[in-house]
Amino acid sequence: MDNRDMYAGKGIYLDNNATTMIDPKVVEAMMPYFTTYFGNASSQHGFGAPVAKAIAKAREQVADLIGAQYPDEIIFTSCATESDNTALWTALWTQKQKDEIVTTHLEHPAIIDTCSFLEARGVKVKYVNAKANGDIDNDEFASLLTDKTALASLMWANNETGNVYDIPTLSQIARERGVLFHSDAVQIVGKMPIDVKNTGVNMLSFSGHKLHAPKGIGVLYVRRGTRFLPYLHGGHQERGRRAGTENVPYIVGLGVACELAKAHLDELNTRVKKLRDKLEAGIVSQIPEVIVTGDRDNRTPNTLNVAFKYVEGEAIILMLNEYGIACSSGSACSSESLEPSHVMQAMGIPFSAAHGTIRFSLSRFTTEQEIDETLKVLPGIIQRLRELSPYWNLNKPKLINATSEFDPDGVDDIHKM
Amino acid sequence: MWDYSDKVRDHFLHPRNARIIEDANAIGDVGSIICGDALRLMLKINPVTNVIEDAAFQTYGCGSAIASSSALTEMVKGKSLQEAEKITNQEIADYLGGLPPEKMHCSVMGREALDAAIAHYHGKSYEHAHDDGEIVCHCFGVGVNKIKKVVWENHLTTVEDVTHYTKAGGGCMSCHMRIEEIIDEVWVDLEKCGVPRPGYVPTEIPSIKITTASSIKEANFALDEGSKSSAIYEDTKAIVAEVAAGLPKDGSSLELTAISGDEVCVKLEGPVANGMLKDMTLNFIATKLKEKIGREIKVVTR
Repeated sequence: MDNRDMYAGKGIYLDNNATTMIDPKVVEAMMPYFTTYFGNASSQHGFGAPVAKAIAKAREQVADLIGAQYPDEIIFTSCATESDNTALWTALWTQKQKDEIVTTHLEHPAIIDTCSFLEARGVKVKYVNAKANGDIDNDEFASLLTDKTALASLMWANNETGNVYDIPTLSQIARERGVLFHSDAVQIVGKMPIDVKNTGVNMLSFSGHKLHAPKGIGVLYVRRGTRFLPYLHGGHQERGRRAGTENVPYIVGLGVACELAKAHLDELNTRVKKLRDKLEAGIVSQIPEVIVTGDRDNRTPNTLNVAFKYVEGEAIILMLNEYGIACSSGSACSSESLEPSHVMQAMGIPFSAAHGTIRFSLSRFTTEQEIDETLKVLPGIIQRLRELSPYWNLNKPKLINATSEFDPDGVDDIHKM
Repeated sequence: MWDYSDKVRDHFLHPRNARIIEDANAIGDVGSIICGDALRLMLKINPVTNVIEDAAFQTYGCGSAIASSSALTEMVKGKSLQEAEKITNQEIADYLGGLPPEKMHCSVMGREALDAAIAHYHGKSYEHAHDDGEIVCHCFGVGVNKIKKVVWENHLTTVEDVTHYTKAGGGCMSCHMRIEEIIDEVWVDLEKCGVPRPGYVPTEIPSIKITTASSIKEANFALDEGSKSSAIYEDTKAIVAEVAAGLPKDGSSLELTAISGDEVCVKLEGPVANGMLKDMTLNFIATKLKEKIGREIKVVTR
């Protein structure tokens, strides 16, 4: 397959944890709000009223998907990053006597980098350690909470491994100690059912573009009774909690996307999960020397993260790309940073494997045929790259004059590179 | 996604000479799996004519690492050792129609593998032939000499450039200040060679000379009896004196301070005591000593 077709929306898209295809039904619902209903929701005339109504409806659709008790607990933002920043700042601003944040090394940069920014300005940040499978220990989490803790922020599901964390229990632990609890739920909303009202979660972030809505729209859930100061100041929009004229078409789109996501939750946890398991079983049975990372029994149903030993991730992605297959890698070379994924490092995955991690993330639009196609080409790609790799010596002739050999697990072979 | 040239894509998807030469007589191993790329270059050099008759590679790494290795093997095949030695990392990148700036370190790795293979052919280990010096970037294990070399050869001016070419500074970033210093040191020498430094306005720092007890002590430093009784004392003394006499008359001075086994310690002062000139002077003395004495003598400063 010619990979130029991919840019026209063809190809096999297995990178849904990065972003998703916009559901055509979502686009259809948005269109009138670019044309007919262009009014400002705050206006007191006939142009504004239907727009305000549409926003109210979207708020209900969003609240329904995450199990918020009241629609007014939903604040529309520009993205999950804005929601995350708001949650961290508001917790510090409303509780001046507290100056500690508890989080993990597994978080998205929207949390980790904001925390390091705050850390450099006097906030004390404590990290819960990750186990080798990426899980965390509830008791260790509890032991880090003090009466100085302004906020505990833990992701609900991890973007790279798909690991799902026990947020109901963890948030309850925080609540019992009087600590505010925030969760970055970007990777779980729309993939697994959550019921935020029956947890101890005070604030929760997610974004539209991970559940088949467009980019540029996010949500911050703030439980009623949680003290809150806005991050953006200005107009009275969102009941004074997020200034700025509402992004109406996108809010409407997100509402519809949430309704569709709820309708497809079952499918994701049955059909899509089965496809993911088929892909995993196919890889593990056909390709030697692979490690499935993360907690295999406790993952989002669409995510598979595999480390292919002795080969480098970016090379795998480029080769897959030639076959029109899109996925992503935790390797250093596939990003601007030179270090492999911080999540793989936090989990203690050896560098030798971390550079060869590939994440496949499916969606409700993924078909069995696409998984079969992927399984058809992947073993050949890995074999081809291993034939090129000096770390893979199976069935290769030996050099007569070599004075040393490449050792994938040794640390002594860093030739000062 | 990286914006690779068609040539890079071609060499990645259809690598040339990706195989093993079992009887290769020059093998260059560089990189490691920890750093994310590693390359083994295998050459078959005709010992009579010194012509590289065959070249092949094995590479672990990203698309541009594989393409750079493939390009390198094509470039060296049929060349004499003397010609091959002159290939620069920029020429490898040019051969591929250019590399994204962040990927220049792949071409540097190719160049290093060539150095390592040639060293192996001459019966030396790469580490011996290339002392990387003090480690500057601990995340990626990059030494001062490697940074100096890429700055010197490619006229790099920023820390970002150095990271793209060597990976140094791409991890925890704590060495960025040190890399800045190294860039400045090299540019002092580059400017002496008539290379104008783009857009650089140096900050004037008034020089202050402080005489401390230790520097007075050093000034009166005399060779100890152990050094004088060394078997290589007379030869070393003569060579150091000869080199000292040849130094430019700009306040530069050179003095023998100690000999211990096969290690000679000298004291350098003035312009010659810094940067590239220092390395050149020490290497010069070492070469002369080797010619005279017939084995490797390490020359260091105190």
